[in-house]
Amino acid sequence: MILRLAFRNIINNGWRSLINVVVISIVLIIMVWMQAMYYSWIRLAEIQQSEWEYGEGMLRVRAYDPYDAFSFEDSYAPVPGELKPGIESGEVVPVLLAPASIYPQGRMMGAIVKGMPQQQNILSFPSHRLESGSSDLTPVVIGQAMAKSSRLEAGDVFTIRIRDISGAYNAIDAIVDTVLFIPAPTADVGTVWLNLAELQRIRGAEDMASYFVFDDGKYRSFSNQDFRYIDRDEYFADLYQMLANERFQQVLMYALLVFLAMIAVFDTQALAVFKRRREIGTLAALGFTKGRIALLFTLEGTLYTMFAFILTPILGFPLFWYFASIGFRIPKGYDDFAIQGMTDTIRFTYPMHEIAIVFLIILAFTAIVSWLPTRRIARLNPVDALRGKVN
Amino acid sequence: MKEVIAKIENMSKAFPTGEGDFWALKNINLEFLKGEFSGFVGPSGSGKTTLLNILGSLDTPSKGKVEVLGNKIQELNQRQASNLRSEHLGFIFQTYNLLPVYNVYENVEFPLLLLRMDAGTRDRMVKEAIEWVGLMDKIKSRPNQLSGGQCQRVAIARAMVKKPDLVLADEPTANLDTENSLNILDTMLNLNKELGTSFIFSTHDPKVIQYLRRIIRLTDGEVASDDPAPGI
Repeated sequence: MILRLAFRNIINNGWRSLINVVVISIVLIIMVWMQAMYYSWIRLAEIQQSEWEYGEGMLRVRAYDPYDAFSFEDSYAPVPGELKPGIESGEVVPVLLAPASIYPQGRMMGAIVKGMPQQQNILSFPSHRLESGSSDLTPVVIGQAMAKSSRLEAGDVFTIRIRDISGAYNAIDAIVDTVLFIPAPTADVGTVWLNLAELQRIRGAEDMASYFVFDDGKYRSFSNQDFRYIDRDEYFADLYQMLANERFQQVLMYALLVFLAMIAVFDTQALAVFKRRREIGTLAALGFTKGRIALLFTLEGTLYTMFAFILTPILGFPLFWYFASIGFRIPKGYDDFAIQGMTDTIRFTYPMHEIAIVFLIILAFTAIVSWLPTRRIARLNPVDALRGKVN
Repeated sequence: MKEVIAKIENMSKAFPTGEGDFWALKNINLEFLKGEFSGFVGPSGSGKTTLLNILGSLDTPSKGKVEVLGNKIQELNQRQASNLRSEHLGFIFQTYNLLPVYNVYENVEFPLLLLRMDAGTRDRMVKEAIEWVGLMDKIKSRPNQLSGGQCQRVAIARAMVKKPDLVLADEPTANLDTENSLNILDTMLNLNKELGTSFIFSTHDPKVIQYLRRIIRLTDGEVASDDPAPGI
């Protein structure tokens, strides 16, 4: 009965109701859009990093700290015997890294050289391109970001100088076999990829590796004095931290949007309580308790959000469809920042559970904001209400 | 002997004003019997609407006792007062006070929804009430599609649909022309006779006064006279 009356009152309220519903709907569209953008960005980053660097798990040498360049020099250890069968069967990919100086067109710049086996199927990396031919030049693969910063192109020859583990410098002449689009920035920026065996030879680190990539979580519990397992949370910690920072701004933005929408609802409901005093008195005379009358007005306000829930997919469909199919293009220059996931067009997926939570929060806020003006009803004398008298 | 449905004993009502309390009703003593067709008559400010509101449990007395259908008005909490109104009392207002978003049927049905009765019984009672007031052809009309007289007839149907023990009518003809006034008074008198429902009016309209079987004249918040209508 109350719901029916509330529904009728909303419909009868005409364009005022429509404005409220549209305002809430626009707020919801923006919130869904933002929610989808962050979600899709993180998902894309996770997928790309997994495909190009992390696989389904990573075992890393304890000495290696990706945020400390000085640690790179010592980031190697013998390949544990337990992993050798896995390496042979292709379940484990060993990678060795070393700090190096490269000399493109005679200029010197720092780089990280990473060695990867030619035969591997866990990462998307086209490691077969690292196969040494009959030439004296060692083929290397670099990403577009590295090509841009070093001004190297496919076919360019340059020198790589690497210090071996006993402290002696070695140098090789390398040829850029391919410049790849590598969507995982940590596998691209400042990185030169070459054959693992070649790097082990130059580095004097035969049968050694810096980290291993797995195609499943089988080695999750593996640990020894040299290596430890890096789980997803640790590997993506900086990405999640960045997301947490973004979340704060996102919450501020949401709060502002919700505040504006709630002002509209509050204003309408406060005015309704004021304008419909006689109706309040009539309802009281018919036997409605004040609580029930307050519930009626609260429900009316809440219904705006319910209607907005229906309108949001309709109004937002073109936008949602565009970003799901065409995607959000990362502005030029963003790849220089080497932000994971920010290297390719982000095609939105819509996290329904998160969107449902957003909707529920808005619903709760609308209910509260609609209830606030009804507190006046509790103070309203039915006789005064019937007279339409202002307290 | 007829049952007493409302009893007022030494009742006074004061309203606070800037200059102290204003006593709108002073030491009222009255009794109403089941099936009465009575009314408070007096000029504006004489206290008749206040008295009606207290009988309808919309207001409470400042002093004295008011008992309606066994309920002591001064002791009722909000929920008990609401129950009394929804189960036993019907209201008819000068300004009809129909719910504008509902049609005739839904307005009349509304008090029954509060009583939680089954849909079939409700439908039968609503149609019966609309027939009493002769508005079956307007059953789907909204209040804004009806004349003043028709709106007041809907209000009567709404007040009568649950067959209340007591109907309180506050200046029911004030906004109506003579023809409509007489029509609705005839309707109410018929319902009083057929259903035995008690009616208490508040009015200063001579057309209403001529229909009343008991006239209680109020002057400055006091009962000036309480007489059967001439010819009764």
